[in-house]
Amino acid sequence: MTAQTIQKSKNGGRLRLWWQSVWSRFDDVPLLGWLIGALVAVGLEYAVGRPFAQLLGMRKSPALFGFLFILKEPWLIPSAIVYVAVMTILPIAALAKATASFANKTATALLRASTLLSVAVHLILLYAILYIWCDILPYRLIVVKLTLIAIVITLSLNVVNGYMGEFSCSHPGFISLGAYGASVVTILVFDDPSPWLFPLALIVGGIVAALGALLVAIPSFRTRGDYLAIISLAFTFIIKSFIENLEFVGGPRGLGGQPNWASLPVVFIVTIIAIWIINNFVRSILGKALNAVRDNEAAADAMTVNTQRTKMTAFLFSAFWAGVAGGLLAHVLAFINPASFGLQKLAEVLAMVYFGGLNSVVGSIVGAVSLNLLGEMLRPLEIWKWIVIPLMLILMMIYRPTGLVAFKEFDIVALLQPKQTTKGEQ
Amino acid sequence: MNKRILVSILLLLVLSVLLAACGGGGNDVIRIGINAPLTGDNPKVGEGTKYAAEMWLEDINAAGGLEVGGKMYQVELVTEDNEYKAESATKANTKLITQDEVLLIIGPQSSQQAVPAGGVANDNKTPMISPWSTNPNTTLNRPWVFRTPFLDPFQGPVVANFATEQFGATKAAVLYDVASDYPKGLAEFFKAAWEENHGAGSVVAFESFTTKDQDFSAQLTKIKESGADFIFTPQYYSEVPLIVQQAHELGWDKPIVGSDSWGSAELVNLCGDDCDGLFFSTHYAAAGATGATKAFIDRYNEKYGYVPDDVGALTWDTLLLAQQAIQDCGEITGDLAVDRQCVRDALANIKDFHGITGDMTFTPEGDPIKCAVIVRISDAGEFEFFEQVCP
Repeated sequence: MTAQTIQKSKNGGRLRLWWQSVWSRFDDVPLLGWLIGALVAVGLEYAVGRPFAQLLGMRKSPALFGFLFILKEPWLIPSAIVYVAVMTILPIAALAKATASFANKTATALLRASTLLSVAVHLILLYAILYIWCDILPYRLIVVKLTLIAIVITLSLNVVNGYMGEFSCSHPGFISLGAYGASVVTILVFDDPSPWLFPLALIVGGIVAALGALLVAIPSFRTRGDYLAIISLAFTFIIKSFIENLEFVGGPRGLGGQPNWASLPVVFIVTIIAIWIINNFVRSILGKALNAVRDNEAAADAMTVNTQRTKMTAFLFSAFWAGVAGGLLAHVLAFINPASFGLQKLAEVLAMVYFGGLNSVVGSIVGAVSLNLLGEMLRPLEIWKWIVIPLMLILMMIYRPTGLVAFKEFDIVALLQPKQTTKGEQ
Repeated sequence: MNKRILVSILLLLVLSVLLAACGGGGNDVIRIGINAPLTGDNPKVGEGTKYAAEMWLEDINAAGGLEVGGKMYQVELVTEDNEYKAESATKANTKLITQDEVLLIIGPQSSQQAVPAGGVANDNKTPMISPWSTNPNTTLNRPWVFRTPFLDPFQGPVVANFATEQFGATKAAVLYDVASDYPKGLAEFFKAAWEENHGAGSVVAFESFTTKDQDFSAQLTKIKESGADFIFTPQYYSEVPLIVQQAHELGWDKPIVGSDSWGSAELVNLCGDDCDGLFFSTHYAAAGATGATKAFIDRYNEKYGYVPDDVGALTWDTLLLAQQAIQDCGEITGDLAVDRQCVRDALANIKDFHGITGDMTFTPEGDPIKCAVIVRISDAGEFEFFEQVCP
């Protein structure tokens, strides 16, 4: 037993070296190359995924990289590994490597033409990948939609908890205000609404949430730290009680029957817009002022930052996006009730923000995606899932107290850069 | 060295894949999805569901499978946890329908999950039966969604009529949780029924509180001063003992009446002697049960160590209902769309199904027409059958 363990740890070291050497071969692959690889991989899965899965003894293709087999059908784990390797990892790696030089040239040309064009091409590729991936198995579709919405929620909360440095607990309240605001527009206000109304409904949801934020902000922004946390927590409960006593939206019974408008393209576009605007916001002068307020409010004030207005703007801005996400959520689920927006929701969004990383747009995306996918992949563990995930959070807080990717700027141009510029260009 | 390990791992992988490929199950399997709250705020409900389902599967396996149209099929239960959350219940239902390709779905139990999950089932044309959800929206305009409990618009009048006849009461008081959909809905249906019989204003106190409140003395004092003849409180087993004990401390000696949410073995444990002699309406009476109901209760009690709550009994009925629908279908073609349609039609056509919670016939809406039972809590703390009320 002990000899085995030693062997294992030795191998662990070697494994890491091996991994690094493998990884270094992909140094010259730009983002475009990975996207091309992924697109071909999902295309391959679309074409032959199901027969291949059946050949391996599985009824259907594994939905989330084979993780759902962990407990339920452990004898299928090897099949799932083979499937993921052949359908996902190998084609992506091979194509990324094979098209590296082409991808680098294209990426350079695109960036030279215009940044906007380059971003658009990448986004279209990303959307195509997601679309085909979800089209193979409908179960993936709902997971992807809810994950995208979680990204918007996490990002918006990061504006307050990360960039502004306050601990706000009112996000479930904002999400529910947005969800109810948007649902009232699409269900109650118009008898026969057209889908073109949906953006308006989402904006109304956002504005309702922002108005709610104004109500919290006016009395509570005289306090900081723990006191703001408590007031904002109280706000969440007030909103919940408020909606429970509003008969025209169903009270505690909830409001159902939202039209089915939150399709993948809609959710995808809203998420991209949210990421774009929030990223610009936190990189603007206002965002920097926000950081200054967080680090030292008195000093920021002395340096001519209008601290009160900065905080207020950021708070309302954050609430607006939480409201928009709430509107999307309501239309994905086609049912909302006040009980869904309580402490559990708060714990969920806070976990995503702190897991991903404070003060970082990339961190929020990483946090939302990883916790959402993880929650779904570990579903077969049932009660053990609630031991594994919190344990991960604790380890995270010990080893990386600010989160996975904290305090990092999201520089879109750097992300899209070709990886061989030093050799070819100069 | 390293290479040898790699090669052996690869070999092992290939071998096990071959094994899996050869050993893959045949087509003679019927998969049934269970969507239950195994974790989250209400794990007891999930547990009752799971246990009842396990017992049912035991029976099926003991019989060598489920016979449909003269052919034996193995039954596989696919249980998914919905964490007592709406999002999770929708995801679980989508997974069951599209990934596990179940023939039909049992659950979710609470309306908070059953309403959104029912939408998914209906959109994907998969039959779903909720054993516990009482919210009208669960089955409303959804031909593919059914349920086994009676609805609140039926239970409200049942309690109102019972109290009128039994206590000769003319003035009623209601104490309910305004933040929880089931108590609130039932309180309102009761009030409407009572005022229809006794005139407007005959509900002399309509008092509310919020989930997790512990102190009800303010509301109870008001109720006492209102001169009501009895209190109707459609609350859960965790709140009822507090309400009853506090009412008795304030000197209330008139009856307190409840609804099916009282029907948990925990109620008597928490309440002690205070609950003795009280009445509530429910799906079945555990004490003094006969026939199939008694057999179910005894078996459950022996296996898991406690008398099943109504969730367990209703889930049991739901599974038998599903079984009958599948058998009525006559043939499993293996084409899911056809089989699901066939099961749905069979479910809608079931007449006078003899369940342990009463006989059922479905309305076109997918709701059952069935009788309610009035239960008296005996001095020994058992739920005794008192009378049956049929629609």
